[in-house]
Amino acid sequence: MNTQPSILHVENLGKRFGGLAAVDELSFGVKEHEIFAIIGPNGAGKTTTLNLLSGLLTPTTGTITLKGQRIDRLPSFERTHLGLGRAFQVVQPFPEMTVRENVQVGALFGTPGIDRAEAERRADEAIERTGLAAFAERDAEDLTLLQEKRLEIARALATSPEVLLLDEVMAGLRPGEARQAVQLVRDVRDTGVTIVFIEHVMPVVRDLADRVLVMDHGRFLAEGSYAEVTANPSVIEAYLGREDDDEEAPQ
Amino acid sequence: MKLLRDLLPIAAFALFLWFLPDLLRAFAGRASVSYLSLVTNGVGLAILALSWDILARTGQLSLAHAAFYGTGAYVTAIMARHLDLPLWIGIPAGGLVAVILALGVGAVTLRLRGIYFAIATLAFTEVLKSVFRHLPTPFAGGAAGINVEPLFRPVFDAATMERWEIAFFRNEGYFLLYALLLIITILLSLMTRRSRLRQAFTAIRTNEEVAAIMGVHPARMKLLAFALSSFAVGMLGAVHAHRVGSVVPEGSFSVETTVLALVTPIFGGLYTTLGPIVGAGMLAGIEETLKRNLADGYLIGYGVVLILSILFLPKGLVGTTRAWWSRRQSKSMDTAEEGSA
Repeated sequence: MNTQPSILHVENLGKRFGGLAAVDELSFGVKEHEIFAIIGPNGAGKTTTLNLLSGLLTPTTGTITLKGQRIDRLPSFERTHLGLGRAFQVVQPFPEMTVRENVQVGALFGTPGIDRAEAERRADEAIERTGLAAFAERDAEDLTLLQEKRLEIARALATSPEVLLLDEVMAGLRPGEARQAVQLVRDVRDTGVTIVFIEHVMPVVRDLADRVLVMDHGRFLAEGSYAEVTANPSVIEAYLGREDDDEEAPQ
Repeated sequence: MKLLRDLLPIAAFALFLWFLPDLLRAFAGRASVSYLSLVTNGVGLAILALSWDILARTGQLSLAHAAFYGTGAYVTAIMARHLDLPLWIGIPAGGLVAVILALGVGAVTLRLRGIYFAIATLAFTEVLKSVFRHLPTPFAGGAAGINVEPLFRPVFDAATMERWEIAFFRNEGYFLLYALLLIITILLSLMTRRSRLRQAFTAIRTNEEVAAIMGVHPARMKLLAFALSSFAVGMLGAVHAHRVGSVVPEGSFSVETTVLALVTPIFGGLYTTLGPIVGAGMLAGIEETLKRNLADGYLIGYGVVLILSILFLPKGLVGTTRAWWSRRQSKSMDTAEEGSA
């Protein structure tokens, strides 16, 4: 059993919207340098969990700890300064800026007190790592979907994260593009970044994840390797057991 | 090199402004008095518009700039009336009090966006106007306002001057002060355009939540924008009070100031340093031309010009010109490539 302490630890996390518990008594830990997937049917509370982790939502109950420090009451930018990066599912490049300038936002503000030269170096490094060097001077609004996804990851990488949250970055990509994106995520992990990602595309989860957390109705359902969770009867039931779910069962 | 690229045009523009009164006097003679007054109004509009634009770069469309302007005017008027200090001290004091006020209104409206922010800032202006109207009359003059001493009192010398030159020298003094404030505002604007503030402001304007995830501190940046945006406007209000010789609540906190502050950058080109300045120059010229030709009906003509410009120049004068120029450049590059192929 891996007894390595968690770099990101969630304990009894809950978020209520009126009478609805979007996330309920959720606990899990993510170990350093692992790729950790969060899956579940639509409405399982995955994106709400990511929003709670990154500070876009404040939890109703529970705690979130990053590198041993409580972060659940901190604003987003302070979490970023502590080493928590995030890429969004719907890419929103900043207009009137080139790709390079977009990435520089993360580099200039992700690390407090960084000087401009160092920030520019980190931004260039993120651009290089995500394969955007040829488009660096292009207007960020003129990119293809795959390039936009790369920009989203590049901006997050430029904040120098130790833990990177990825929200369905494969959504809308063609199979060939998804393979490139999977390789990119692996490359990022190989540089020492811990990855937490939400994904609907099951082959991607199978190829990428060291461990998988399955959520259903805002609650913890199962956790383990991809093979373990996909063999779990309650996971299969969560995906296939209800007529109103249109999700494919994990295979 | 970048710094030099910015400072050279500013230095040239400052020199032009410095010599402009003499040029006007040399070429227009007695008429230079009214020309100088007209140009001073244009420069004042440019300061107001460019200052407003600095705050707009964070996505906050303020209707509070008349409040900063009026506060600057009242601060210098009250100081001149009650304190035995040199008159000019009221100008930076007006700017500083405007900044303090801006930080206050900025802090209160941090969570408001769009129309809610606009309404809150408009309400703030109206409340402040009412406060100054209802302050004890011996202190702030009440509804009738306060007379303000002029900053410049040229002395007539029959041996060397003509009568009209007294008015000219008085106007020249105010013009040069306005010009100095405009240069300060341009430097503040360029500081935000050429530093990391540009990225922070644009990111906040585009999506505040994403900006915060990138590590930008939205509240700090918005308050900084408020401070930068209000300083020169407060000083402008103070100088204007000395120029016109009085402050009254209706005039100092007027709706016209609120409207001009936002219409001018939209007309000239938002989120640029040049746009609000060009817009101010054009609007001041158009207003004067219409006044001379349409008398009291000039406001109708002015409104038509603004509506047409917003309909046909949605990016403003500078934005439209830049877009046209960049299309032309890419077309000529395509032609060159075809020629060499």
